[in-house]
Amino acid sequence: MYRGKSITELREELDKGSITKEELFSHANTLAHSFQEDYNSFVTIIDKPKFKERESLVSGIPYALKDNFSTSGILTTGSSNILKDYIPVYDATVYKKLKNAGAVLVGKTVLDELAMGGTGTTGHTGVVKNPWDKTRMIGGSSAGSAAAVSLGIVPFSIGSDTGDSVRKPAAFGGVVGFKPTYGRISRYGLFAFASSLDHVALFTRNVKDAAIVTDIIKGQDPMDMVTLKDDGKKYADTLDEDIKGKKLFYIKEICSKEFYKDYLDEELESVLDQFQELVQKCRDLGFVVEEVSMDQKLLEAIYPTYMCISCAEATSNNANLTGIQFGPRGEGDSIEQIMFDARTKGFSELIKRRFILGSYILQKENQEKLFKNAGRVRRMIVDKITEFFKEYDGMILPASGGIAPEFTATSEKVEKLSPRYLILENHLAIGNFGGFPSITLPYGFVKDMPIGVNITGRIKEDDLVLNMAHKIESVTGLKDQYCKVGDIDV
Amino acid sequence: MIEKEKLKKYAGLLMFDMDEEEYTTLQEEFDTLLKQMDLIGQIDGIDGVEPMTFPFKNTDVSLREDEVGDYLTVGEVLANAKHQVSDQVKVPRVVEEGEE
Repeated sequence: MYRGKSITELREELDKGSITKEELFSHANTLAHSFQEDYNSFVTIIDKPKFKERESLVSGIPYALKDNFSTSGILTTGSSNILKDYIPVYDATVYKKLKNAGAVLVGKTVLDELAMGGTGTTGHTGVVKNPWDKTRMIGGSSAGSAAAVSLGIVPFSIGSDTGDSVRKPAAFGGVVGFKPTYGRISRYGLFAFASSLDHVALFTRNVKDAAIVTDIIKGQDPMDMVTLKDDGKKYADTLDEDIKGKKLFYIKEICSKEFYKDYLDEELESVLDQFQELVQKCRDLGFVVEEVSMDQKLLEAIYPTYMCISCAEATSNNANLTGIQFGPRGEGDSIEQIMFDARTKGFSELIKRRFILGSYILQKENQEKLFKNAGRVRRMIVDKITEFFKEYDGMILPASGGIAPEFTATSEKVEKLSPRYLILENHLAIGNFGGFPSITLPYGFVKDMPIGVNITGRIKEDDLVLNMAHKIESVTGLKDQYCKVGDIDV
Repeated sequence: MIEKEKLKKYAGLLMFDMDEEEYTTLQEEFDTLLKQMDLIGQIDGIDGVEPMTFPFKNTDVSLREDEVGDYLTVGEVLANAKHQVSDQVKVPRVVEEGEE
């Protein structure tokens, strides 16, 4: 009865008194427990929440929070053994704002360990499964937050997005994923991964809900130096603005079949065909949509650029995980041995590999060739996209080249030097390179699995990106979508 | 192929270790990673570009007033430390006898 309902619908039910916030929480809590064994969305499920009476659109609305946001008195693990017993003593700004707005926390969600990964398979409490097909991943790193919304447990959840960690799993889970402009939402209390790329982002099941949640959590914060002055806008109020004549572009080298040659299979073909059908629908809505061309070499450099910058920054950001002030204490006779032991036991193999790559990139002999050149390529990519934004209001692209991968898909199956992998599976990082507001929404199905389209706009024009996405959502027929798996409704 | 010893050195710099099998996997992965990294150097016109370290220039930044705000108590700071003594985190002796 309440499963899968949006914030707006639940608000109405709460306001007219057909359900209380306590009952609503109880329903969400039941759903969270019911789906936990099969899908593993949560590290912690809250059973005894604190309710607050507040006047806000999310007051009494249940939600989930990625387990890399500090929550005072509530276990916060980053899905890593090195923080498996860490209980923060302060609140992340996002959590504090939602608490003050009366939103009710249902649970802390599983992520790829310390947010470094895109599969949802590396959290210390196990893999997160895709609601649409349990043999497939939902993607990451905000895997549990994506699954919780996709399953209809909660109408919204909070994640973090450093390369595509909300917008990609949103596509694989058939829901909306929105990453506002860099600095729009405070990151105070979010475990840092790569500070120059890290964004707070969110999942909902429709664009209006994404605007409602952003309106509540955005704003300047003296505790996060990069936050922007609040623009004073209410994004939920401008979703119906006329978009006639607004100009969108897509990149030929990403959207044309000719660039994939041997890597073009049925799945990719369907993704690209449906994308062109959507482009036509956008034109019918009144958008001007045009194809532009971009240097393929520059596009192919997106992924290595992302890896260089993020791994290098991560090595530094995670240097505080020593097991001394918090986390399991290592064994040894000296302070160095204790730290060495804690880190050896506390980190999983996958992130150790990323750290070593970061260390390699930062070696004196590699700094110019790799780290600095990655910064140069980042600027070239951002400059090129910004140049397009002088003429166009937004960029529209398929969020991925296919559906959520199967767990059994081996790395050999994915040709990691192909344009399909390098560009199509990784272009969302452009949004992080330039801090552009960027949203993914469902636009179709391939093999009964959801696929997503991404719209990215100029910095600080979050309202326009949401406005355009809201219009596009009206022609997808997939607004409010969730996966109705399981014979459970409460 | 990158030598395993180098990978061990980089891991040591970050204060952790892996087992032999994990180093072998990483050694193979590095092959692909380095080929991907090579793509960065192949971009035309890269010389003379200023490396980007931030998404865009934020003009909204200003230093906050130097006022006392919320702060953590000693008890809160120590809440997650496994070994404590006299309101401090306890670690093995760092200064040897005779060094003082």
